[in-house]
Amino acid sequence: MRLTRILYAIVTVIVASSLLISGLAEWQDSGAEEGWRYTGYVQRIPVVSVCYILGAVGVIYLGWYQLRLTRAVMSIATLLQDEKSGGTYDGKKFFPTTHRLTKINELYQALSKHFACCTSRITEYEKKIRDLQVKNQLSKRRGENTEAIIYSIRDAVIVIDESDRLLMANEAAGRLFNFDYNSSQLKPVSELIGPDQSEFTDFLSHNRQRKGQATRKEIEISKEGPPKIFDCIVSCVYEQDRQVCGAVAVLHDITREKQIQQMKNDFVSHVSHELKTPLASITAFTEMLADGEANDEKTRKEFYSVIQSQAQRLNRLIEDILNCSRIESGLIKVNKETASLTMLIEEQLKMIKGYAEEKKVEVIGQKPIIYDQVDVDKDMIQEVIVNLLSNAVKYTPSGGSVKIETEVDENAALVRVRVTDTGVGIPEDDIEYVFDKFYRVGANNKQAEGTGLGLNLVKQIIEKVHNGRVFVMSKVGVGSTFGFELPLTTRQAVRAV
Amino acid sequence: MTGKRVLVVDDEIHIVHVVAIKLRNNGYEVISADNGAEAFELACEEKPDIIVTDYQMPVMSGLELVEKLRQGDDTKDIPVIMLTARSFAITKEQQEDLRISSCLSKPFSPKELLGNIEDVLYQKQVMVSN
Repeated sequence: MRLTRILYAIVTVIVASSLLISGLAEWQDSGAEEGWRYTGYVQRIPVVSVCYILGAVGVIYLGWYQLRLTRAVMSIATLLQDEKSGGTYDGKKFFPTTHRLTKINELYQALSKHFACCTSRITEYEKKIRDLQVKNQLSKRRGENTEAIIYSIRDAVIVIDESDRLLMANEAAGRLFNFDYNSSQLKPVSELIGPDQSEFTDFLSHNRQRKGQATRKEIEISKEGPPKIFDCIVSCVYEQDRQVCGAVAVLHDITREKQIQQMKNDFVSHVSHELKTPLASITAFTEMLADGEANDEKTRKEFYSVIQSQAQRLNRLIEDILNCSRIESGLIKVNKETASLTMLIEEQLKMIKGYAEEKKVEVIGQKPIIYDQVDVDKDMIQEVIVNLLSNAVKYTPSGGSVKIETEVDENAALVRVRVTDTGVGIPEDDIEYVFDKFYRVGANNKQAEGTGLGLNLVKQIIEKVHNGRVFVMSKVGVGSTFGFELPLTTRQAVRAV
Repeated sequence: MTGKRVLVVDDEIHIVHVVAIKLRNNGYEVISADNGAEAFELACEEKPDIIVTDYQMPVMSGLELVEKLRQGDDTKDIPVIMLTARSFAITKEQQEDLRISSCLSKPFSPKELLGNIEDVLYQKQVMVSN
């Protein structure tokens, strides 16, 4: 019996020690710092470790309790043996009387009941441990998923604790503020981001302290290169008891949207200015006529002529704006068909002839004719050609010339058209902007009227609709060359005659 | 106010033309320029009594012209009326700082412009006589 007790004690110690060591090891692995730190995504208590340790304590308690019980039974047996009054003992075995047997039986029943209760409790605890383990796994997985989602967001995300220290940041935030987000945990966010971005850190800290609803602010950040504008939203992070334990900031780059907004504003402003200019002349001359300020028939005719030309200018401007807008939005109907570019040029040369003769500018056509087949919308390409030709004539003084040439580049499978004039030329600083909307070369403004949309329309038609390219070369006082390239339909279709 | 000299500055030839006719019909002498730089030179040489200028022009804008005029000893007190096709192009502060007498939005009425010129010249005359 003594040997049984010793064995029982040894087994209890071994089991309890194993559980205790496993529990401590698990605690060590999960990391006490990590385990206790609240991030919102990591379990608050290391459940497995605690379960192991509780199990060890339970085993020690049960072992100690069982040993006590065994000792009690042994004491009763010894007592019975010693008294020898309750039965007979032949030196090897004790034969109790019926009364003693009943007492022992009662004791046995009570012990059995107690053991059954203990077994039931152990089963219950085992179930609870299994449930906690499952919950822990789920919580870990959920936390990992949430972190993976945050890391994959393109916007910069920064989470701080109640002391404005960094708890979490994604790669975009690290890139934006130049810090290694993996090794920056628990560092003060103002130190990490730097004093030059104090507008952001102050906003973040202020909103965490304010404990209010999510707040939005546009913040300019300039770490490297040109400054960028971010839409910054800061929300407080709440614990289960609704206490604020930190804040999360999401920074969305809206630089491009701002630029587009600015371009739209500039466009509207420019369009209104361009529309108002001819309108101002029409209104003023009409009022002068109504007030009888035109004293003679000649002056009246002059006024009518100005009103008519300004009305036409207004109409042209509206048409050009609509065409540009239609092409840009892709709403314009494009009817592409195979055509010879040279033939299209020939037709437009006839159209421009009258205007050129009026201005005493010689227009030189192309020789020899090359059958250059291209897939184009004929109306659009004719508009391009007439735009380039009329511009050339417009900015060339009397006695000058305008030459149009076509050449086929078989290696690149494209056809190139050049319109060269001996006009006033374009200053070097203006050249890169001549295809921009509403851009008019200041130095040549007096030379001729224009909407500032013609060359932009040329660029849109060639590059956006026909996948071609426009180009310009110019020298002040010498002349300009405007041109475009279009892809050939097939190389076999090209032949010179 | 007849015989007063008005400098009209605009890159739109028709605007210069219509303003010149209106002013000449009402006894003013008109000189003109089509950008700010040219207007400044003319203002220094001709010493006009008042300048009517467009806001947006090539080479030198109307605003730059006024800034330059206010720096010159001979030109700093010439009253200026600004014509602009861009609403809110000039702020109240700019107008006060540069002593721009009035701003008219395009399209404008030549009659209204004439009334403005007469008012400004009258005020100038009163100030001088005081």
